[in-house]
Amino acid sequence: MSPLRSVVVGSAQYRGREGQIAFILHRLSGLGTLLFLGLHIVDTSFVFLAPALYGEVINLYRSPLVMLAEMVLVAAVIYHGVNGLRLAVFDLFPRFWQPNYEKPAVYGALATAFVLWLPAAVIMGRNLVGFAFLGWK
Amino acid sequence: MTTTVAPISRGRERPHTLDGWIWLAMRYSGILLIPLAWIHVAIQDVLVGVNRINLNYVAQRWALTGWRVYDVALLALAFGHGMNGLRQVLEDYLTSDVARRAVRWVIFFLWLAIAAVGLVAVVGGVR
Repeated sequence: MSPLRSVVVGSAQYRGREGQIAFILHRLSGLGTLLFLGLHIVDTSFVFLAPALYGEVINLYRSPLVMLAEMVLVAAVIYHGVNGLRLAVFDLFPRFWQPNYEKPAVYGALATAFVLWLPAAVIMGRNLVGFAFLGWK
Repeated sequence: MTTTVAPISRGRERPHTLDGWIWLAMRYSGILLIPLAWIHVAIQDVLVGVNRINLNYVAQRWALTGWRVYDVALLALAFGHGMNGLRQVLEDYLTSDVARRAVRWVIFFLWLAIAAVGLVAVVGGVR
């Protein structure tokens, strides 16, 4: 089995329960955010290195599909932070950790992230519709 | 002969390897990034929005030195945290020492190069 395939199949078969769901979501949200962050550092560097191109790059971010992806990015940043705080607290203060805390802590992190994301999603969704379809300036 | 096993320490110890320090740095940078990255995202992505961002906006923002310091802090913490996270993920799936060493150096130089480009832009500002 190829390494990639064994990772995907292994993750699906491994019965790690809630902790493993959080582990996978933490990695996906982190890698996705890093991918954008690398692009974002380079596009921001255009303000100094190639000012004439900066507007064109920002224009790419204004397409509806990319604005939708931006909403997913915000969800990833929020979830990675909330779940990361859960990890940091249990890592730095092991005495707080109990096996029966695992499940509520994982779902608590998911719920907290969703509640924090909701107002951001409403505002961004409104901007998306307004700027992309209603001709806002 | 009896061997004594050291009890598992519950106290805070200083790491004694580079990996130990990096492990600790991941926790502390992560905690700092919660306010830093969230405030950045809340302002730029949510409240301002990509449709109102242009050269002029960046120039106005960077007219305040405080925002430049903020952005350098964000660049240092977020990109370092992210690139080390990428290294951890890749090393989990690499079994050969040669491949791991190669990945470490490639990520290190990629991190250095892109972070340098970002730093030059924040310091240089809008032309």
